[in-house]
Amino acid sequence: MANFEELSKSVISGNLAKVKKVTQALIDEGVSPLDIINLGLIAGMGVVGARFKNGEMYVPEVLVAARSMRAGIELVQPLIASEDMPSAGKVLLGTVKGDLHDIGKNLVGMMLESRGYTVINAGIDVSSEKFVQFIKEHKPDILAMSALLTTTMLGMKDTIELMKEEGLKDQVKVIIGGAPISNDFADEVGADGFAPDAASAVDLCNRLLA
Amino acid sequence: MTTRTNFKAYSSTMMKVFSQDQCQELVLAAEEAMWRTGTDFYDKESLEILKKAGCWVDGKRVRIPAHITEQALKTCQKHVVLCNSRTGARELFVEGNNAYFGSGPCTPFTRNPFTNERHRATRQSVGWATKVLDALPNIDYAMSLGIVQDVPLLISDRHEFEQQILNTDKPIITVCVDAWGQADVIKMAELVAGGEEELRKNPFICLYAEPISPGIHCLEAAQKLVMGAKKGLPTIYTPCIMAGGTAPATMAGVMVQGLCESLSGLVLSQCAREGAPFIMGGVYTVLDMKTTIFSYGAPELHLLLAGLADVAHYLNIPMFGTAGCTDSCVIDEQAGIEAALSIAMTNMSGANLNHDTGYSEYGTTSNLDLVVIADEILGMARRLTKGIHVDQETLALEVIEKVGPGGNFADEDHTLEHIEENYAPRLVNRAARNIWEKAGSKTLTQVANEKVRDIINHHEPIPLPKDVAAKIREIVENAVGHVPGEDE
Amino acid sequence: MHTTKSNYTRANYEVNQTTQWKMLSDDQCSELYMTTMEVLERTGAEILNKEAQKVFEKAGCWVDGNRVRIPSALTEWAVRTAPSRVTVCDRNSKRALRLETTNAFYGPGQNNTYVMDPLTGERRKPVKGDVVNTGIVCDGLKNVDFAMSNGLPTDVNQGFAEVHAFEALVTNTTKPIVQSIQGVEQAQAILDIATTIVGSLKNFQKDPFVMFLIETEGTLVHSDETLKKVMFAAKNGVPYIYSTRLIAGETSPATPAGAIVVALADVLVGILLGQLVRQGTSVITGGFFSINDTENGILPIGATEVSLMGTGMANVLRYLGIPSFGFAGATDAKESDAQMGLEAAFSILHEGLSGTNLIHGSGQLEYGLTGSLELLVMSDEVIGMTRRIIKGVEVNEERLARGVIDFVQPGGHYLGEEHTLKYFRDEFWWPSVLNRTRIDDWTAAGAKTLGQRVKEKTQSIIKTHQPEKLSEDVLGKIKVILDRTGTV
Repeated sequence: MANFEELSKSVISGNLAKVKKVTQALIDEGVSPLDIINLGLIAGMGVVGARFKNGEMYVPEVLVAARSMRAGIELVQPLIASEDMPSAGKVLLGTVKGDLHDIGKNLVGMMLESRGYTVINAGIDVSSEKFVQFIKEHKPDILAMSALLTTTMLGMKDTIELMKEEGLKDQVKVIIGGAPISNDFADEVGADGFAPDAASAVDLCNRLLA
Repeated sequence: MTTRTNFKAYSSTMMKVFSQDQCQELVLAAEEAMWRTGTDFYDKESLEILKKAGCWVDGKRVRIPAHITEQALKTCQKHVVLCNSRTGARELFVEGNNAYFGSGPCTPFTRNPFTNERHRATRQSVGWATKVLDALPNIDYAMSLGIVQDVPLLISDRHEFEQQILNTDKPIITVCVDAWGQADVIKMAELVAGGEEELRKNPFICLYAEPISPGIHCLEAAQKLVMGAKKGLPTIYTPCIMAGGTAPATMAGVMVQGLCESLSGLVLSQCAREGAPFIMGGVYTVLDMKTTIFSYGAPELHLLLAGLADVAHYLNIPMFGTAGCTDSCVIDEQAGIEAALSIAMTNMSGANLNHDTGYSEYGTTSNLDLVVIADEILGMARRLTKGIHVDQETLALEVIEKVGPGGNFADEDHTLEHIEENYAPRLVNRAARNIWEKAGSKTLTQVANEKVRDIINHHEPIPLPKDVAAKIREIVENAVGHVPGEDE
Repeated sequence: MHTTKSNYTRANYEVNQTTQWKMLSDDQCSELYMTTMEVLERTGAEILNKEAQKVFEKAGCWVDGNRVRIPSALTEWAVRTAPSRVTVCDRNSKRALRLETTNAFYGPGQNNTYVMDPLTGERRKPVKGDVVNTGIVCDGLKNVDFAMSNGLPTDVNQGFAEVHAFEALVTNTTKPIVQSIQGVEQAQAILDIATTIVGSLKNFQKDPFVMFLIETEGTLVHSDETLKKVMFAAKNGVPYIYSTRLIAGETSPATPAGAIVVALADVLVGILLGQLVRQGTSVITGGFFSINDTENGILPIGATEVSLMGTGMANVLRYLGIPSFGFAGATDAKESDAQMGLEAAFSILHEGLSGTNLIHGSGQLEYGLTGSLELLVMSDEVIGMTRRIIKGVEVNEERLARGVIDFVQPGGHYLGEEHTLKYFRDEFWWPSVLNRTRIDDWTAAGAKTLGQRVKEKTQSIIKTHQPEKLSEDVLGKIKVILDRTGTV
């Protein structure tokens, strides 16, 4: 008989095929879909997050674990009304206009997903208008913007200004990150926070939504 | 009289990471990736140039047939010289196994040498940095050691260059924010050199662009590269890639990924103007899988770039390397270790133009104390790389016989004639403990910092003629910024 | 996993399985060797032991008073007959150090008068407890391959300080031990302890875990006591290191080539004597090279020339097929700072690249006056980095990652690829005390320098590391030996 522990372990080891198999078995057994997510999939990912923080697991392993968890959730998702889907929060993520750097933002997305956030990836070279359009469409709790260049980081300010104009700034928290970004800069452009790396971005989101 | 034949000597240390066969295999694998997978170009003009040259263009994606790559390798200039900006004297021969060293560009932050405060780089900090680079004997050229951020950011490159040209006559490698910035900088350089022809004949600036790994040539990079080629100015193209993140986790895979991007840039430069001077750059390192930093101190960085130097020599194209940098947030033992390993490896690899001395905190913050320490390490490394000279004079057979067992060589003429071949340190401390304590028990970093302050306070770079400086000021003041990603 | 598959075998394919590095060509090595033989034949050496003189005379040397001149044929015989490989075991008779070809093993030093107390930071004379700590730290460090005493205890019977040091090491580490000896009496006591541990002399000779370190007086003079020790080691089949200590410009010509000639002439005498006493005796040779720093009146141990001459000597010994003994990981700095980092790193890198077999000296501070376990712990990290560098880059179909590069596509990333998961652990070097955290995390963790982190690690090893103990029975027997010899 399939059980939650087995499912968690499969998530921790990033065994995608097994996660799918066990999840399906649990569904077939009639186990509550929410329990599958909370006690199996997310529980496993919680262990992964803790181990990464302690330096016992590394980025590629976290990524594979997150990927396997997502595969499990995709199987369960159709069985749950969308408003009942457990989520730590919804984050819209993108690299600002004129900037094609992708890897840092992807790391943030991966870490957020692994800690139970729903992540909408707007991609790279995202203009203020596009960000606002995405916000209207997806209604995220948090907007996370990334920039690697001192020239493109100005796009963050433009986006925040546009959000204010559109009356969206009060509904959505804004966090920013990237090599040239600092706390001072975050204050200057009116962001709600700055995270120097992916792991602290998760902590920051937790704090902002607490 | 003794004569002899068939005697082979090493007149320097000899180091190789890859054999000839391996170099060939890496290049061929890169050619395969350039054709099979291709890379993306975000600049319309570049796409047209490449299409016209026979590359297969599909939207942004460009697949480069191997014969075009091989043709580009043949046509690019092998003999690249950088000159003194004041005199036009030909100083840096960026070719063969000659290794030159200088600082790095573009750190958002710097440490103030007087207050130790970590702050955003400014006009003043870049001016100070350039002065320090100007004064150090083992530093061969200048890069800015910071993005000027106390001016409108979209024209920071013009301010950066102004600070550089005012404070050094050494060659300058300039990193511009976009093609407009680069056009302005070239204009300024032409003023200094005395015209476009003069600058091309004796270039004292070298241009710089980098792709975004994996496989993206963004608008700014492609445009700067094409402009450099058209102007006939040496242009560096540097993929900054991290194993396991933007490149495969295997070191061989990193080489293929990096070469694929570099050589795609080379093809663009040669298709824009055959014979354009192109310098293959590289910062190949690991993504630290615990902390996700782009490591500037990892041993893989030194190994990969020594390997890239082998490939550059195999291809006979000039190379731009990386050394003298650290992941450490302060200039401590770790900074000493990482700077020493990288400088020693790079110097022995024979990479030509090597940057990033003075980078601390995984390349985020520049530190002038580290530049001064790197200058000392360079002296050591250069002595060691020169190797051991073996001939009748240095073997000293007659002196050994004369002095005999148990004797002392200190007063022999032979000793006095050769003793200065030893490297005389300027910074590291060899004094007896009590003398060192009397002088304040200073750490190397403290001594280096004192030297930095002394240079800033007292060093006088060779000035730029007043009228030229005024014309440069005018260009800086009239500079117009362009939003990133904006075309035409 | 995404790989390109094609079924081929490749012919005529030469690879660099490791990084390649050389200071001297074979022709240069040959010339240095020839010149050395000329010195031994023409100038000869002072042999201050009567028995040794007789051995040399019987073998065909020209003996004139104490001066012994050695025919080249005899030197060549000794080089041929001395084994080109020596395997040294650990305390459990497991084969540990294969001293052959370019295998490089690292360990601490021992000539220091003082030690830095790892717990209090006080600089003082070493006591037996310090040697115990050295044994524990050597045992606990991954990249330290053998143990040495890091100073001789001053709180014991001075006539038997080496015996006490050996006892302290052998009871606290299973790693092979390099042990200096004052005289034959002490050598016998140490050999007795060693044979007690492995059961018999025969067992010890088969799987030796101790090497005697015998240091010459330099410049072609070999004292009575030194030669007695050589004959003792040879007769008893104990591998010995015949090591010179040379000051270029004082005890040898100032030129590195001349210095190597004198060093080689010096050690070949010790090799020849061993081979004449017992043909095939295991011997390792080399030494410590420094320069005459008249300005400071010290012998620098962190100077470039230490590595320059040391690696040159290693190249010649490799050419001769004799296992080599070198020096690295030391500094002229008085306390932990960037100088300590850079000097230790510089020498560890070059000695490693040269493939010197047995590299001692890690942990020597203050031009060799003070031993520091912290520097040893720091060196352990640098040795790890160096080993990553000299391991080189493996190039093969799967590691070239052509298929993976195509699967990921421009703009993608490699983080979750099966290829990354398979290789990232082995292809990357993983730091233990070097900092790669970002500045915010580093500051939150106390903004510690590497020196501070190393100090903590050293203390933690001393407090928590549990080396494998010897049995009560063996410990009892060792005590009997100490009592019998009058050591205590």
